[in-house]
Amino acid sequence: MEHPTTTIPRRPPAQVMRLSRLGSMHQCRLSFMRTLTRRMAAENWQFYRHAFEINAAGEGHAVYVAQGPERAYSLVAFAHDLPADKRSDRVIAEAWDATFTLFDGVPTTQDVERLRQNIPLQEAGRVSDSEISVSRANRSVRLWSHMVDALAAGQQPDPEQIASVGYLMRTTAVYGSGKLGAADREKIADRPEMQGPFQAEMLSVFLTRWFVRDLVQHMAFQKGGDATVTLHPEMARRLGIGNSTGLGMAPYIVNHPVLFNNWVMAREEAIARVRSLETVQNSEITAFLDVLRRTETLVAASRSQHPIQIGKLQNLKKDLVQLKSFLTQHAGTRDYPWDRLIVWSEKSLSEEGQELIASLILEPYPDLVDGLADCMSDSNRDAFCIDGSMRISTVQDLLKDSFGWALDIDWAARENCARAWYVSEEKLEPRLGERFEEPITDYEQPLAPARDAAKAYETLKAYDSDKTVAEFLLTHPEHRHTVRRAQMSRIAPYGEIHDNTISDKVLPIDMLRAKLAFFGATHFDPRSDRWVRIAMYSGAPYPDELTPDNADFWVYPEVTA
Amino acid sequence: MTFAMNEVEATAKRATRGAGYVWGLAEEAAKATRWLCVHGFDGASELAATLNRGMAKTAADHTPVDPMTDWQASDVLCPLTSGASLSDFASRLKDAPLVLRNVASPAMLLPFAAMAARQLDGALTLKTDGFTATFDPQGFGCDGACPEVASMVSIQTGGSVSQPTALLDRASPSPAAWATLNAYAHKTFAPATEESRRLGAGGAELTDND
Repeated sequence: MEHPTTTIPRRPPAQVMRLSRLGSMHQCRLSFMRTLTRRMAAENWQFYRHAFEINAAGEGHAVYVAQGPERAYSLVAFAHDLPADKRSDRVIAEAWDATFTLFDGVPTTQDVERLRQNIPLQEAGRVSDSEISVSRANRSVRLWSHMVDALAAGQQPDPEQIASVGYLMRTTAVYGSGKLGAADREKIADRPEMQGPFQAEMLSVFLTRWFVRDLVQHMAFQKGGDATVTLHPEMARRLGIGNSTGLGMAPYIVNHPVLFNNWVMAREEAIARVRSLETVQNSEITAFLDVLRRTETLVAASRSQHPIQIGKLQNLKKDLVQLKSFLTQHAGTRDYPWDRLIVWSEKSLSEEGQELIASLILEPYPDLVDGLADCMSDSNRDAFCIDGSMRISTVQDLLKDSFGWALDIDWAARENCARAWYVSEEKLEPRLGERFEEPITDYEQPLAPARDAAKAYETLKAYDSDKTVAEFLLTHPEHRHTVRRAQMSRIAPYGEIHDNTISDKVLPIDMLRAKLAFFGATHFDPRSDRWVRIAMYSGAPYPDELTPDNADFWVYPEVTA
Repeated sequence: MTFAMNEVEATAKRATRGAGYVWGLAEEAAKATRWLCVHGFDGASELAATLNRGMAKTAADHTPVDPMTDWQASDVLCPLTSGASLSDFASRLKDAPLVLRNVASPAMLLPFAAMAARQLDGALTLKTDGFTATFDPQGFGCDGACPEVASMVSIQTGGSVSQPTALLDRASPSPAAWATLNAYAHKTFAPATEESRRLGAGGAELTDND
């Protein structure tokens, strides 16, 4: 693609990569759900229900097929009758309301039987390289009951009840990339439709939402018989798929610095391109004001019981008021208006507001922005390889670039290393523990790059700066992972979080939020400092309704709440 | 049963860490084990044999003493630490061959030699007792059986691959080696307690019927 010149530079990593800012990120044109729906609509993918064999108790299986230009993918769904005392979102759960796999192609009867023996077991089952992802979901008990009861009684559900929950089922894990024996990422990475990050997982959830709508309709019919009505499509579109995300996802962005850099850098490049526009067309302003108006509805519909999120939402609402006032007073089409808006927001708004605007200004510019989605995967295998010929002085410079802020921290002080990331014996679940209260230090995962960088820097001070990395690592292999990361930062300047990930104040939900925002999630609802519920595909067309006209802006509600 | 290469890599990383190696080497051992599986070796067996020697606890006795001469240590060389250094010192190969003496599980060196060849963007030949391996930009080829311990391994630039090894996309590790790796991996997991179950994941309730 062409590379437009930017006169305004990208925002620096020291600004972008703070945890509080990462924890304030919003979806944008580059979010993975939107790139998927745009592509499928543009390529005229066909979707059909291949099987729906669910009994009166809600048990059985269904198959939904997505047929692209070259290949088909199928969601194979198993529905279960789950007792309430088994319904848990935690990864340690052993039974679910529904379990799924995304199958590569269209499954035969034999495939479905093989999957029936394994998919309902999730981690306790095995799959093959014909399967691309494995996932499960639980009902929102109250919305499910309300919907079944209402439809069975011949009535549409109460919009207020739909708005207050937002989804009929929430996924509690979506495994890909070879987990449980599924296909490795390498098997699908070269396919155009799977080249972007998490496209298979996003497709799986997109089809899951369709299945869930059919299942609730089916259960309503079992109850109401001929009196049952069909869920109105407009009501159905308000339903997203929920998701409960816990600590397991937080280490991901630390463990994949090049990949995460590519996500952040693509968005930062998009922001810089738009800020660099000297003048703006009236039609572009109209497009921006339209998504802004619809964003107000989205923000107004956001609910949370968590004190941190309640505060953030209050600030965001205030920010939107200020923004409107600013736009009224300073609207203009000349003299770098987008840049002026961003500069103003940095002085006047909360980080939530700043990041919302940074995402929204991209909306009028598909030509400038959308091609960057092709740069968001990580195909750089060589980044892993340490360059042993590098001088020590260069490593020191790289460490200072990413971690200059961390070098003077007293890492022995309790508050600065109060926590430790570890993996529990149970289902290999990542957890965050209290270093000084639990016997976990021996099991600590390398998820404190800043502390490790400070340690390496200290050791290097006493080392001859003209010597090479190879010589240093021969006697100091304990710094090997840190040197590797430092060298990666040359191609991945946004690969490191510029905050302490083991302090007594760290909020893992900030790490979760950043990743989920890139997925395209909305309705962030933290349930503690360590896990969050979100909605995916709220407002989106269902697969059988997808067209180029509705494939992109579905994330912004058309209606006022 | 076959395994995804990603499973091999994840298990190998945990196993190497569980056997007492530092994280950076565990990362490398994981990629190396995957490389071996992709190239038709039983990477799990090679790694298990390496870890079973218990060299991590006395790493200095198994690490090259002086990289400027032949690489050797007071005891048998560990292929993970030596392999990482082989890749780190790749540029030296442009000037002179490298000789390693008394190396455990030398097959474990192959992925590191492949990394060195990639860095040099040229061909490399690795020779040891009855075994020759060649790396060039087109691929990898080998001849003979790699010994369990090599009295000498030489690595030099040059050579060409006549018949590149076919690449596999699934791994079939020997069950015994796989069990060994999982046993080492298990040492990295903190025993679960009711307390950690409750606190460690953020005070979530035991059921979610809302």
